[in-house]
Amino acid sequence: MADLTFMMGKFAAELPVDRRYCKNHMWCAATPEGLIRFGFSAYAIRLMQDVYFLDWSVDAGAAVAMKQSIGNIETSKAVSDLFAPIAGRIVSFNQDVLKDPSAINVDTYGKGWLFEMNGSVDSTVDAQGYYDYLAAGWENTQRILKGQMGD
Amino acid sequence: MSRTRLNVVLSQAPGKHPAKRSLEESVAAALIMESGLDVSIIPNLYDLGPDHTGRMFLEGVTGDIVVLSWLFPRAAYWLLDRIGIKGHEGTVSLKPARDVDEDEEESEKPEVPEAKGIGTNGKIPDRHIYCIDLRDFNTPDPYLGEIRRIAAECKDRREAARPATMAFVDLGLPTKAPSLNGTPGPAMQAFLPEQLLAPPNRRWYPVIDYSRCTNCLECLDFCLFGVYGVNTFDQILVENQDSCKKGCPACSRVCPEQAIMFPEYKSPAIAGAPVGEIGGLKIDLTKLFGGDVKDALAMAVNERDRELVADGRQAVGMEVGIPKRQDHKPAGPKDDLDKLMDDLDSLGL
Repeated sequence: MADLTFMMGKFAAELPVDRRYCKNHMWCAATPEGLIRFGFSAYAIRLMQDVYFLDWSVDAGAAVAMKQSIGNIETSKAVSDLFAPIAGRIVSFNQDVLKDPSAINVDTYGKGWLFEMNGSVDSTVDAQGYYDYLAAGWENTQRILKGQMGD
Repeated sequence: MSRTRLNVVLSQAPGKHPAKRSLEESVAAALIMESGLDVSIIPNLYDLGPDHTGRMFLEGVTGDIVVLSWLFPRAAYWLLDRIGIKGHEGTVSLKPARDVDEDEEESEKPEVPEAKGIGTNGKIPDRHIYCIDLRDFNTPDPYLGEIRRIAAECKDRREAARPATMAFVDLGLPTKAPSLNGTPGPAMQAFLPEQLLAPPNRRWYPVIDYSRCTNCLECLDFCLFGVYGVNTFDQILVENQDSCKKGCPACSRVCPEQAIMFPEYKSPAIAGAPVGEIGGLKIDLTKLFGGDVKDALAMAVNERDRELVADGRQAVGMEVGIPKRQDHKPAGPKDDLDKLMDDLDSLGL
């Protein structure tokens, strides 16, 4: 099956079908070692633009609850807190992107990965499920964002 | 220290970060080689208590000053203001690489918010303060280049302001340096480098940006640890810095003008980072990126409760010192609770 593409206005956000997705706009994929690797989806990257600062507030090895606050990010256009996509244990953070966050923008689905965890992917969805989720929320999302920009 | 030379002060990073120390050493070495500059090194400016030699040294500097630190320039400038080092904010031309690429698709620039703050208390001395962030570049050359530019700018400004009739004889001895309006500046002592660099204890306290502060006093109401007070003109100030609970940024979230900074907090917005390229606000994607949809106020309330409980006190939730942000909502019909409050009010309790 070919990769899906979600249109954000004129921008085509690629959604590879070789992985699953979380509702907080991260992708997840199993690693050969049996861990789960996470990164931002192209949708998230399009909203954020260039990553400037990435900061984690928990250490590698920490057990986290789903939606627990684990860090924050600042980009050229946005700021956000970051939350655990699933419950489990964060095994490691990608040190390369902490030194140089540009990989997050350049290779979002590859070298731009964020962290690896132990946990269950039951709450995640496949590419089609994520696509449907984005489509359902697109109107509302635009309203939220426009509400912030122009008052 | 002469008034006609540019004072350059390097405020070290806290801790023993080897890369930062290394940059500090190479920047200082390059600056010391430069003529026309008086270079000094002090420990982390944010941690200096009022008795620290580094503070006393700064107070003795009356001319233009460049401060290199590991703080955002806005945070450094208002920190200096709070410790009595006042001056006009000099414009620094350094643009770190990350700010240079503009998004070509971006056609609408966010508006620069009007500066409606109460400004600093008292007269601003006739000198300029330039604050530079040592995180912008990791080699000394950009800093050296900018400081040379600043030195030339200060020289031009001084010469434009006064016709060249005064010649200050610089004997290389610390002397009482007269300020521009004729009154003598504070006497300066010769400080040994070891005195200046005595390591201070770490501190944690808010810094108010008075170009944004409107004196609404909501921070005074919100903080339950007695950090804030008012001066003789009923203007807000951070009075008891060391009453502030280490790591707590709660009050910065309730300020309606985002005028409160914690220069060493992890989130750049609270640490005083410049916002956007031209000064607009960034979009907050926290709602989209999951987590409980907590607005700033809810986060502040949680943080304050955490500190209260850690202090052995009762958590208060939203009951105490919460800004009245409901004002813009249209008044609905009064319910029983409103009637009860009205009755209690009329009792004059």
